[in-house]
Amino acid sequence: MTAADPRATRDAGTIAVGDALDPLIVDVDATRIVAGAIASRDFMPAHHDRGFANTQGAPDIFMNILSDTAYCSRFLTDWAGPEAMVTRLAIRLGVPVFPGHTLTYTGEVTGLRREGNDVAVEIAFRAAGDIGDHVTGTAEVRLPI
Amino acid sequence: MSDDEQTLDERLAGLIGKPVGSRAVTVAPDPVNVPMIRHWAAAFEDHNPVYTDEAFAEASRFGGIVAPPLMLQTWTMATPMITGIAARGGSPVAMEGEAPLAVLDRAGYTATLATNSEFEIDRYLRPGDVVSASTAFETISEEKDTRMGKGRFVTWVTTYTDQDGEVVGRQRFRILKFNPSGAGS
Repeated sequence: MTAADPRATRDAGTIAVGDALDPLIVDVDATRIVAGAIASRDFMPAHHDRGFANTQGAPDIFMNILSDTAYCSRFLTDWAGPEAMVTRLAIRLGVPVFPGHTLTYTGEVTGLRREGNDVAVEIAFRAAGDIGDHVTGTAEVRLPI
Repeated sequence: MSDDEQTLDERLAGLIGKPVGSRAVTVAPDPVNVPMIRHWAAAFEDHNPVYTDEAFAEASRFGGIVAPPLMLQTWTMATPMITGIAARGGSPVAMEGEAPLAVLDRAGYTATLATNSEFEIDRYLRPGDVVSASTAFETISEEKDTRMGKGRFVTWVTTYTDQDGEVVGRQRFRILKFNPSGAGS
């Protein structure tokens, strides 16, 4: 649970390079993996059937990539607020995440520039899991001035 | 470089710009819609009110409900045929003909690892938008030594358009096709 009001948008004028984003902690269990896979319309059995995952050399079902980008998007807008537009998201995939793992998303502002009536905020982030970085990436969100 | 290798490189070069799947364009089976947005928001516990709160969304810069930007890929995912999905190796539907990357499997790069997914979002989608996706190979690297073994990085770009043919976003996706028998230290 984040302390921030989900209806409040961050004031672009208060953001500085080096600012840390609010961390997002996601406790991963089988239900969360299956819910994300189906909501993103990814029916690959490796994301809901442990027996199938085992045949692919994985010890258990694992989170799908569409869920990864979904949680990244949530991490960005939980911090920036509902008026923010995610305009770019680039992730590099690291180690898989299995039920019982915890993902911790952290990030910081790496750049700011004016884009029309918006401020484009560049962010570098990572999602660390139990066995290493699950995702590392960069993103850009735009906030109204 | 052997003749075989030359042939493989030529065949791979011929894939650049060609569709990745059996069809050049995939049209979303349903328009962007609130029930699927609500399902997605619940699954990821994303409480951003512009996705589900009509009154809030109307007063926001978006002027109404918008779809989560990273749902972009979801709209054109194949509607699966559940029967036989495991026997098909997880493919949601039966492949029509041979997959273009089968040429890499035959060359020994039988294993696949997704490495990168990059999105550019030009505009947020609204309920009623009908998304189409066209996907084409962008690059296929030379053979590289990776920690997984010898492999080639394959990158394709999906361009998403709306019902008016306007581009709404792009996705660049990269996989490593590698030979699992030759893994490094």
